[in-house]
Order: sequence, then structure tokens, then C-alpha cells
Amino acid sequence: MTEGLIGFAVVLLLVLLRMPIAFAMGLVGMVGYMLETSYRGAISMVSRLIIDASQDYGLSVVPLFILMGLFVNKGGISKELYRVSFAFLGHFRGGLAMATIVACGGFAAICGSSLATAATMSKVAMPQMRRYGYSDSLSTASIAAGGTLGILIPPSVILVIYGLLTETSIGKLFIAGIIPGLLGILFYLAAVRFTVARNPNAGPAGDRTSWPDRLVALRGVWAVLLLFFLVIGGLYGALNFWPLNLTFSPTEAAGMGAAGAFLIALFRRALTFQSTIAVLKETAFTTAALFSVLIGAWIFSNFVNIAGLPETLLSVVTSYDVEPWVIMLMILLIYIALGCVFESLSMLLLTVPIFFPLVRDLGYDPVWFGIVVVVVTEISLITPPVGLNVFILKGVVGDVSTGTIFRGVTPFWVADILRLSLLVLFPAIALFLPAAMH
Amino acid sequence: MTETSSPEPATAPVVRWASRLAALPVWLACVTLFALMAMTFTDVILRSAFNAPIEAATELTRLFMAIIVFSVLPVISAQGGHIVVDLLDSVIAHPLLTRLRDNIMHIICGCLLILPAERVSVLAERARSYGDRTEYLNIPQFYIAWFIAAMAFITAVVLILRGLIGLFAPAQLQGTTNPTENQTVEQAND
Repeated sequence: MTEGLIGFAVVLLLVLLRMPIAFAMGLVGMVGYMLETSYRGAISMVSRLIIDASQDYGLSVVPLFILMGLFVNKGGISKELYRVSFAFLGHFRGGLAMATIVACGGFAAICGSSLATAATMSKVAMPQMRRYGYSDSLSTASIAAGGTLGILIPPSVILVIYGLLTETSIGKLFIAGIIPGLLGILFYLAAVRFTVARNPNAGPAGDRTSWPDRLVALRGVWAVLLLFFLVIGGLYGALNFWPLNLTFSPTEAAGMGAAGAFLIALFRRALTFQSTIAVLKETAFTTAALFSVLIGAWIFSNFVNIAGLPETLLSVVTSYDVEPWVIMLMILLIYIALGCVFESLSMLLLTVPIFFPLVRDLGYDPVWFGIVVVVVTEISLITPPVGLNVFILKGVVGDVSTGTIFRGVTPFWVADILRLSLLVLFPAIALFLPAAMH
Repeated sequence: MTETSSPEPATAPVVRWASRLAALPVWLACVTLFALMAMTFTDVILRSAFNAPIEAATELTRLFMAIIVFSVLPVISAQGGHIVVDLLDSVIAHPLLTRLRDNIMHIICGCLLILPAERVSVLAERARSYGDRTEYLNIPQFYIAWFIAAMAFITAVVLILRGLIGLFAPAQLQGTTNPTENQTVEQAND
């Protein structure tokens, strides 16, 4: 127990000294494992892990989903998503901000990254909201908050990493993310309404679009719908009818999504040879970086387990004789506190090896906990002082202060906390769909 | 530290050559990644429409993954592309301190990799003596294990060199990617 906690503290220290997370976790994991067993045992564990992990079939979802997101980005799909959302919502008060939220949700359905969602949508939505005289705080906040949906609505790179770290079914995690993601959209829409109800000047109504024009706009999003149904439908087994046998493993779904996004971008003449190479290169780099941290986290997890941290933690917790939900509440508070300072992926990698075994042994569903962790991570993306989505907005928009964005984000943050509470009180929100899968 | 006092106009040959050489594994990774995507797509189509999956798809996927990850590992290590936490960047902002910290970290990380890399090469040799081969394509297992060991060694050397050059001749590194400015990796995965 103490060894495990000391190890965790050393990892934190090294990481704060800017040692790459992969190396910090790998180093502490290896040294700790060595102290618990032997030098040979530790070095064998590490090298076996390096060989096996890099040839793990399940890990191939990572590059394929990243590739899909980047091809989608090149395909100019974000503009059309925004146009459709505007056509249906633009005439309401605060309608452009609502359109932003819905378009972010749509983009999230084909992209697994919150930062990419926020960065892409800000280029499309921000100029429009400025044109209609929206306040800076509402417009930037709606993009920053809407962007967080990227990691919850499947596909999601963070859910893949959680699934790989905890050996939880990635397919189930993806399906479980759908309803909480839709709930997120609804709650964010309510947050927009709340903002414009308090200050009508923050989001004036836009022009009404006629029904024929709406239908024309709707035609523009065929690509998004096609990709989403191909990937998620294939995972869910919904495309499995005669004569086709289209039930996908996560890797196959990711491969179909990547190839589909590539073909769509090609069809729209949005790709050159150069940009295709750039996309492939960025994917390979990201994949290698993610693999390094995964291998590091696995080494660290092996040490934490052999040091008996999870069991001791469990026995300490049970000795206090409190209800499991009190412990869950404490874990969530720890996550929200960590989320104030840590970036999402680091937070996940550092905490999951410690908390996951405890949560599982307390009888909670691993799929549900994955969704909860992702929702908490979403919250961390817009929580001051280190809210990465807010920083992305600041980077793209430039002339708005982070203070203004954080102020605008407050109603969205409250909406997130409400959604998290609902999810904790009613786990069925996440677990209903995956349970209906088979 | 003496080299720093006399500014070098051009980058050192070692750095220039390294960045030229780096193009090779990057191309390998790009081609392999594209092949992985195309193969998965074809496999699904063949399986679902013609009931004739690519038998070797699974083992090729494993092979491709190792190639993609380990061919670019030295490159992202050299460019500072690993995922780091930059919480204290505004606290420790002194240029000399950050230079010392970052480069010492590079050297430590490089040294760290040597032992596992050496052990992977031992395991590779063992696989060769056992004659382990893959199921469908009959590819000797030790090829890929040796590839992983070699790339891990190269990554270790690259990290140590980068740390040493950064400590003693930082002017030589101008023009290569600055670790504190490389955000692409972090952006794509959250």
C-alpha cells in the first residue's frame, strides 16, 4: 500500500518536472516492480509488455479512429453541419449558440476528440455568431462546452484508452456513451436558454429559414449520417441483415470509418496527395505517443497491483463501514479537483490504475464507470484554471480573454454537474443501450 | 558550455543528417497506416459480401501496428512529441532552468530505454532459436522483435544525443521542433 502511494507521488513529481508521462509511469513502475520482485522479473515484464502491446490486435482501433477524425476534418463536413443546425434553430433567441451545440454534437459523432471538435467548430461558428451580434462570452462558451461532447459521443479516443486500460469492451463503452451524449446536448441547449433569458442581448435571434431551404441544407449532411450509421450501426449489430453480415469488431468499425471518411473526402475533392500524407503522418505520430503512454500506464498498473494497492485501498475503505455511494462521491470529487489542474488524458492515465480496481470491487459496472470518468473529464476541459477547450478557443479566436470565456462557460458547467448527478443516480442512462445490445 | 558563446550560423551536420534520415521511417509509417486502413476495409467487404475474409488480416494488423508505432518513435522523441504535463511551465520560466530540466529529462529517458531494448533483443534471439513463425504467412517472429529492439535503441540514442546537444550546444538545434511548442500530439487525442 505505502509503496504504491509513494510510487504515485513520485510519478506526479516527475510528470510535473516535465518528464513525459510514458517514461515517468514506466520508470516508477519498473523500479517499483523490481523492489517487489527482482531485477530480472521487472525487466522481463517490461520487455514482454513492449513486444506484446505493440502487436496487440485490439490496439489497432486507436490509429484508425484518429485517422477517421482527421479525414473528416479535411472533408469540410463541419460547415454543412453548422448550416443545417442553423436552418432549424437559428431563428430562436440564442439560436446560433444552440446551432453550435447541435453541430458540435453531430461532429462528435464522427470525431473522437474534444479539442479537435472545439477547434474545428470555432472556425465555422464563431464568425457567424459575431455577425449576428452575439456576446463573446456566450459564443465562445457554447463552442468550448459543445466541443467537450467529442469524447463522449462515439467514437471516442478517450473511451478507447479507458477500454484498453481496464479491458472493458470498447463496443459497449461506445454504445453506452450515446444517451449521456444526447443528454449533454439537451442540457447545453437549456444552458443557452438560461443565458439568453437572463441577458437577451447576449444572443439575438437570427433569420428564419424556410422549410424548402431546410430540406436542401439537410441533404448536405448525408456524409455524417452515413459514416455514423456505418460505424456505430456496425458495432451495434444493426446492419446485420441478409445478405450482408455487417457486425463489426471495434477495429473493423474504425477501419470502415477511416476508409469511409477517406473516400468521402476524396469524392469531395478535399484531399491532395500532400494533405493525405500530412494526415497519415499526424496519425502515426499521435498513435506512437499514445502507445508510449499506454505501455507506461500498463507497467505502472502492474506495479500498483503487485504492491497490493487496490486490495489495501478496498480494505481501508470497507473498514470505515460507509455506503459505496459515499466512496463514489469522494472519487468523483477527487476527479473534479484533479480536473481543475490536469489535462484530460493525463488525468485518466494517472487515476484509472488506482481507482478502477476499487470501483469494480465495490460492485460498480466498468462500462458505467467509464462513461462517468469521461463525463468528469469533459467537465475538466472547461473548468478553470486549466480548461483545455477554453484555451483552444482563446487560441483560435484570439481577442477574447480567457476570463470572459470562463464566465460564459458557468451555466454549461452547472449543466454538466447536473448531468453527472443524473448519471450517478440513474446508471441505466448509460447502461440501458449496451444491455439491449445482445 | 563553451560552444554557446560562439553562435553557429548553420545547424550541425549530425542534426541535418538526422532530420533527413527521419523522413524514411515516417514514410514507412504512412504507407503502413494506409495499408492497414485499406486492408481492414477490404477484409470487411470481402467477408460480408462474399464470405471470403482475408485470412491473414489479424496477423498483418499486429505486424502493421508494431511497424507504425516503432518506426516513428525515434522521430517523435527527437521532436519532443511525447505527451507531457505543462502545469509548471509558467512557474519555471527561466530559460536556463527549463533548458537544464528538459535536456536532463531527455538524457534520463534515453538511458531508461537501453535496458528494456537490450532485453527485447534477447527475447528476439530466443524467438529465432525456437524458430517461432506467424500462423498464416509463416513470417519468423524474431523479425518484428528485432525491429522493435533496434528502433528502441535508436530512440534511446536519439534522446541522449538530443539532451547532450541541447545542454552543450543548443544553437545547433535551432530549426528543429521546440518541445514546448509541439502541441499537435496533444491536440489530436483529447
